[in-house]
Amino acid sequence: MTGAAERLDAQLTVAAPPVGRVKLSLNGVARSFGAVRALDRVDLSIAEGEFVTLIGPSGCGKSTLFNILAGLLEPDPGGTLLLDGAPAPSGSLLGRIAFMPQRDLLLPWRTVLDNAILAAEIQGQKKREARELARSMAAEFGLKGFENHYPQQLSGGMRQRVALMRTFLFDREVMLLDEPFGALDALTRALMQRWLLDLWSRYRRTILFITHDIDEAIFLGDRVTVMSARPGRITLDRTIPLPRPRQPSLLTAPEFMALKRELLEAVEEESLKAFAANGP
Amino acid sequence: MSWRTLPRLAAPLLLIALLWEGAVLGFGISPFYLPPLRQVLGAIAALWPAYQSAFLVTLAEATAGFAMGALVGIAGGIAFAHLPRLRRMVLPLFVVSQTVPVIAFGAIVVLWFGNTLAAKAAIAFYLTFFPVTVNTLAGIEAVDPRQVALLRSFGAGSRELLWKLRLPAALPRIFTALRLSAPLALAGAIVGEWFGATQGVGAMLLAALFNEQVVAIWAAILAAAAVGSALFALVALAERALVFWREEL
Ligand SMILES: Nc1ncnc2c1ncn2[C@@H]1O[C@H](COP(=O)(O)OP(=O)(O)O)[C@@H](O)[C@H]1O
Ligand SMILES: [Mg+2]
Repeated sequence: MTGAAERLDAQLTVAAPPVGRVKLSLNGVARSFGAVRALDRVDLSIAEGEFVTLIGPSGCGKSTLFNILAGLLEPDPGGTLLLDGAPAPSGSLLGRIAFMPQRDLLLPWRTVLDNAILAAEIQGQKKREARELARSMAAEFGLKGFENHYPQQLSGGMRQRVALMRTFLFDREVMLLDEPFGALDALTRALMQRWLLDLWSRYRRTILFITHDIDEAIFLGDRVTVMSARPGRITLDRTIPLPRPRQPSLLTAPEFMALKRELLEAVEEESLKAFAANGP
Repeated sequence: MSWRTLPRLAAPLLLIALLWEGAVLGFGISPFYLPPLRQVLGAIAALWPAYQSAFLVTLAEATAGFAMGALVGIAGGIAFAHLPRLRRMVLPLFVVSQTVPVIAFGAIVVLWFGNTLAAKAAIAFYLTFFPVTVNTLAGIEAVDPRQVALLRSFGAGSRELLWKLRLPAALPRIFTALRLSAPLALAGAIVGEWFGATQGVGAMLLAALFNEQVVAIWAAILAAAAVGSALFALVALAERALVFWREEL
């Protein structure tokens, strides 16, 4: 282990490997917007250190679910949401879960480093210390030499890495990533996926990851969950027994293909329903 | 300012000077309508200390009122953005205040404050604070709600949201308002000087008008333009330092 990595591990939380303790548990969580029922009684349980991917047709309520988990949106009364086994009313979740929204939302007046430390800074960490830590992590996030650039000088992939670094530096045990690689080209995306798995194996956060790409969902996840067309609910929860660390060659392996076929069917069915309900 | 800026600023000035001189010579314009530029510049050079002090007096009046107006405008915009009830009660009063013409307002202010710097600054203030208030408010309200949500998910309260997001995001609009109000502040100071002041470019302009000294009128106009440029340059420099990210977009 390098000196920098040791220092990081001392400062950033590295959770214990999964022991099966439930980190996050949802029971009948629902949400309507006026007459539109966006989420329909979602049941989902995520163990500590687990990487769960969530896939579903667009408009089915995935981002709505994330907004609820981040404490930004109140669920309809009736459901329960437990964090570490304790009930977590909506307002109490703010500042407790590291949320990365669909867009990077970097602030154009802040450098790469200062964008990365935004959450840490809001949490009251000293700016100088936070910068120090971010600087030592820059290489790991592929941002070495760009620490003092502004977001508008970066490529899409780099901006996404800054947003991810901001999420990691927020240092919460649960991370919600909403289609973080959705806007990237296929090649960059593949690189970022392996890089994320690498980071995750080192820092062991509990991750819930939204994607619309089945390959990505299988390649990354310990479990793949499929959400139905609106009103969204979890219709399939599939454990992915593929060994880790995962290599790109896995994408063409027969066991991968078998899983993909199974999931594709489930997703296709939901997409057709969404298509029939809303048109293209 | 870099070494490139100077020629960029000087070129249009030189062009205006050439057009002025060329028009006077070429069309044989009577000096009553437009005296040659040489003559105007000569008049300024001959009375340099007087013009210099007039420039400084008016610049001080306009800058004082402008700075106050900017501060009150920004603070007002922030307060209105956070307190909808205050906004409903006070913003209409701000709007009504702007329906009083600056000349009428100036007369009252000079009655109240006498012939002081404060009187002129108050008029400059009167013309500045309103556009700054409105634009600060609009800038704050135009902040991307997704960005607000993100910062709230990090645990940000309204204070952090203001300093780390709302105010920086509103800066481009605030500076647009400041650039528009800088010449207004100058006009306010000059109007203030017309009510019996003995110092400043506005007072010089009025004296020259009464005495029908055409060259002196034009000299006072040039001095006023110099004050306006100085004020504008101050705003532009501050903008370049604070809103640096905009040019890169
Ligand atoms: N703030 C809101 N107000 C009204 N309707 C909303 C709001 N947010 C989301 N919706 C609706 O809820 C549904 C689910 O949206 P969303 O969660 O963004 O879907 P996804 O992320 O899966 O594409 C959509 O039909 C959307 O129009
Ligand atoms: Mg979405």
